[in-house]
Amino acid sequence: MNEILSQVFSAGTFTQMLRSATPVALAAMGGSMTEHAGIMNIGMDGMILMGALIGVLGSYVIGSAVGGVAAAVLFGILVGLFFALFVVKLRSDEFIIGCALNIFASGFTAYVSRAVFGLSGTSGYEIDYMRPIEIPLIKDIPFLGEIISGNTALVYVAWLLILVMWAFVYRTPYGFWMRASGEKPETLRTAGISPEKMKWLSSVLCGMLCGLSGAYLSLGYLNGTFVEGMSASRGFIAFACVIFAAANPAKAYLAALMFGFFDAIGLRLQNYISSDLTSAIPYAITVIMMVYVVVSKERKRRSLQPRHDAAAAQPPAEG
Amino acid sequence: MQETVIRLEHITREFPGVLANDDVSLEVRRGEVFALVGENGAGKSTLMNIIYGIYPPTDGSVYIRGKKVETFSPRNAIELGIGMVHQHFMLVPSFTVAQNIVMSREPRRAKVFFDNRRAEEITRQLVKEYGLSVDPSARVQDISVGVQQRVEILKALYRGADILILDEPTAVLTPQETAELFRVIRHIIREKNMTVILITHKLGEVMAISDRVGIMRQGRLVGLSDTRDITEREIASMMVGRPVLFDKLERSGEPGETMISVEGLSVRDNRGLVAVDGVSLEARAGEVLGIAAIEGNGQSELLEAITGMRPAISGRVRIRGRDSTGLEPGQIRALGLAHVPEDRLATGVDPLADVSDNLLAGRQRDREFNAAGGLRLRRSSIERYASEVYRKFDIRGAGLHGAVGSMSGGNMQKVVVAREFSHETPVLVISNPSRGIDIGAIEFIHTAIIEKRNEGCAVLLSSADLDEIFRLSDRIVTMYEGRITGEFKPDEITKEEIGYYMTGSRRKEELAPNETAD
Amino acid sequence: MRLRINWSYILALTVSIAAALVIGAAILLISGYDPLKAYAAMLSGAFSNARHIGDVLEYAMVLCLCGVACDIGSRVGIFNVGGEGQLLLGAIVAAQIGVALNGLSAWIVIPVAGLGAALVGGLYALLPGWLKVKHRVNEVITTIMLNNIAEFVCEYLAKGPWKNPDNNIVAGTGNLPQTYWFTRLATGSNLTTVFFVATGMTILTWYVMQKTATGYEMRLTGDNPRFARFAGLKTDRIVLIAMLVSGMMCGLVGMFRVYGAEHIYKASISNDYYFEGLMVAMIAKYQVLPTAVISVLFAILKIGAQGMETAAGVPNQIYLIIQTVVIFSMAAESGIVSDIKRRMADKSARLAARQRAKEGAANE
Repeated sequence: MNEILSQVFSAGTFTQMLRSATPVALAAMGGSMTEHAGIMNIGMDGMILMGALIGVLGSYVIGSAVGGVAAAVLFGILVGLFFALFVVKLRSDEFIIGCALNIFASGFTAYVSRAVFGLSGTSGYEIDYMRPIEIPLIKDIPFLGEIISGNTALVYVAWLLILVMWAFVYRTPYGFWMRASGEKPETLRTAGISPEKMKWLSSVLCGMLCGLSGAYLSLGYLNGTFVEGMSASRGFIAFACVIFAAANPAKAYLAALMFGFFDAIGLRLQNYISSDLTSAIPYAITVIMMVYVVVSKERKRRSLQPRHDAAAAQPPAEG
Repeated sequence: MQETVIRLEHITREFPGVLANDDVSLEVRRGEVFALVGENGAGKSTLMNIIYGIYPPTDGSVYIRGKKVETFSPRNAIELGIGMVHQHFMLVPSFTVAQNIVMSREPRRAKVFFDNRRAEEITRQLVKEYGLSVDPSARVQDISVGVQQRVEILKALYRGADILILDEPTAVLTPQETAELFRVIRHIIREKNMTVILITHKLGEVMAISDRVGIMRQGRLVGLSDTRDITEREIASMMVGRPVLFDKLERSGEPGETMISVEGLSVRDNRGLVAVDGVSLEARAGEVLGIAAIEGNGQSELLEAITGMRPAISGRVRIRGRDSTGLEPGQIRALGLAHVPEDRLATGVDPLADVSDNLLAGRQRDREFNAAGGLRLRRSSIERYASEVYRKFDIRGAGLHGAVGSMSGGNMQKVVVAREFSHETPVLVISNPSRGIDIGAIEFIHTAIIEKRNEGCAVLLSSADLDEIFRLSDRIVTMYEGRITGEFKPDEITKEEIGYYMTGSRRKEELAPNETAD
Repeated sequence: MRLRINWSYILALTVSIAAALVIGAAILLISGYDPLKAYAAMLSGAFSNARHIGDVLEYAMVLCLCGVACDIGSRVGIFNVGGEGQLLLGAIVAAQIGVALNGLSAWIVIPVAGLGAALVGGLYALLPGWLKVKHRVNEVITTIMLNNIAEFVCEYLAKGPWKNPDNNIVAGTGNLPQTYWFTRLATGSNLTTVFFVATGMTILTWYVMQKTATGYEMRLTGDNPRFARFAGLKTDRIVLIAMLVSGMMCGLVGMFRVYGAEHIYKASISNDYYFEGLMVAMIAKYQVLPTAVISVLFAILKIGAQGMETAAGVPNQIYLIIQTVVIFSMAAESGIVSDIKRRMADKSARLAARQRAKEGAANE
């Protein structure tokens, strides 16, 4: 038992947690934007996948990982615009478009990857990737230093983004408008602001963040390789985080850490319990959370007291 | 005379299939309360939405302070000093009062950050200036409708409005809140020399507060007058296009046995508040029992609980002697009840299905319409039945196979009535049957209701329209805040008097439950 | 507005497919292939011999059943996105039943496996249905979550308790004894006699939804549940039953894949097939017969693309691109059409108003 615990709570677990959580967290922060704007975005998986490919492709063509990340983000903007064109402008069913985007991404990335790199993918190609950054001083702190230092740049960017996105949503007028565009768009329209514009904005932000997430996956997590289908449902995990966190970007990051944690202990505890079962836990928690939120709201409503004393309202027995 | 602030010239607005405004021209002057009255669907809201820039007119021009409006957008209207309080409030429930008020013109820190403290300060200043009290940091979802309306007005004032449009502002207010609103209106006109346009269909309010009145009917402006030069009666007849004197309805037969009885029923509304509070009543065969109440006093919830659409907290309902409390709507219908609901589009029809399928609803399992032992619907019988009903109830518009959702309100209501009245049911529960429909359809539906009564049906009728209640009912009960406040024969009491009972300022104390049970 | 299948719909579909093929051709051209040659290879890949035609029909069957399962849900107003999970669970249970009951007659094993697959799929769909009906929990999100859970649980079972004794197969159940395999209709192809069962299921669903009182009640429930309840229907029960049937269908698809094509449970039993089926259903406006027709179209694309890959060396994923372009343009269709209609109505209304104003002026 002690052995298990020491394995679970080793620095290595938390480093792995951070590595697994970051791509999910980046996408989840993006998903929080569309969620606030009232768009149910389940196309994040495809957005991540395309980001991953474009990251590698950009890095390969430009010759630097930073260039690859920039390409992924720029392409993410395009994807966001494309998504908004259908969902906002043409009022297509967001769910259908999200699904179609996922399928499109899996076809598109596989096709392009095979057309450019050939059947065996990126292996054998020289592709610049993001190296871990050792932070002086901090890296010498026992335990924590090992976790905090030695990550790739995007892990730290994600931390910065927690603050930026949170402040954007809850502390700037634009964030207020975006939330209003999801909660009650007419309010915004009668105030002279186009709710559609805010929806476009949220979609573009989501595209950018998902592009970043994809770039982290291919250029950071896997050291400059693209594998077909490498998003591996992370977009859906991110979606779960968004729901779990009620679209608060900071909470979404924490939710992503939870997923990362289960992922990490799943790898560590392989000898004791199947990693597949530990991986399923976060999804189950999300379902339970959703039910809990709804049921507790119901209960709160029922507990409101009658205006008058209920007993006094009863008529006396007939006769 | 004061300057003209709004001038409308030949405004026409058409929506697919509906001519909402037809060549309307009028002027509004500074410092006056201009009342715009008309029935539902007369085009009042459309006209005001054009002034507020929600959509452009199809034809015609709008001048604000003499300048022609070129771009129709709310932003532009706000810049021209127009503020509008919509019938359905434009507030974000999860935001605070202050956040809602400053929306689109937020005070900022460092150019990008929302300054919440300043927002609340601004709100407090507005509160002080206009005497409308609200808590700046309360969330809108937690405050009452009356307070929400104050927030709406403050929002318009914060945006610098000096022309304020109020769309049906008193529909959701208690009498006290209405008095308060009128005090505020007088205050801003006197102190700030503002202009107020009031959209309403309550003539009492028109007489009480307005300086001038414009009357609309079927998209046209049919009357324009100084309020002191016109009587309530004259306005009413202009609104409906002829003197409001319906033909007398033929009544026959005596009330029979009790068909529906309600004892101590309590029901919650959608927000979880107790809306019906220990109500007891009964209706007998061959009588129409009218429930007179101002919107939102529990009458909707009461009827929904009786028909099974809403659960009751306590109390009993009996239909023809059988306890129906807690049964599903289908089971209650099987006891012999039909129901014309309050909101026909949301509850009374399948707007996507055609007329014939809508008429079939509830009878799809009847042997008459099924072949092969219920394994196949007999389309030809359905067709025959539907076209017969269609003719009998004089439904017009889409035809038997047009989608009901695209029909006019009157014809849609006829579809509902046709279906419900074609079931052989001795108990009818009817809610606001003539809301938002034309006079011809109203007359038709009233006649049908009385026919049913004469055939020996017990009819439970709820209506916000007192004329309708008086015209149809054999007995009237008034409801206020979820409780019965009085019971009358229509010839015993006047409309004015019954108003006191509907507003809770009078109550028949002698009307204890003991007596109703007699 | 419920959309009906009419000429304008067929026109839109044709235009969408043509546009998709043109875009596909452009992509092929950019990546250095001859589009004409590639499309020719695609056609022959789908039709050149009985094996290919068989594969087309098998894949069309899978898409169609998934699509019909989705139709059943959306007809009553609930969106079953969890078909993928229901399919996987049905497949693994059916496979394991076949392995565990090895030795018994096929007449016993196949019905038991079918029942098991339908039951597990149905119950797995019932859970989100119940949550929606009872507590108004959004079914789209719960079914997506349940998909992932099912995927992991199946992976665990296939690696652990139900693992294939052969160590070369990392994640898979035991092999299905050959006596239980469905009979092939064309040598070398995946098409088996179960195709007729699937056809029967599709026609039966169409009949019930279109011709019976039950179908009528389902439609009312889906269009306006409040009205349906008002009219006396037990809407909660109707939704639950629809969800159950939809899940059962998905479970059976899983069984068909195992007993007809793969003869083992492994992850490749379905490669997001349900999501493709769902797309088909969406394009078909959730109507059964069009779902069947479009399934065949998409199956031709997919199987043809595989042939194209072998013959012309074009990555077969081009079919996913073409398919999604069709989906995007069909999803946009109603938006574009209503936009055009609105503009035209506005314009004619303005003209009419001018006309009236002129006449009015002339009369005065």
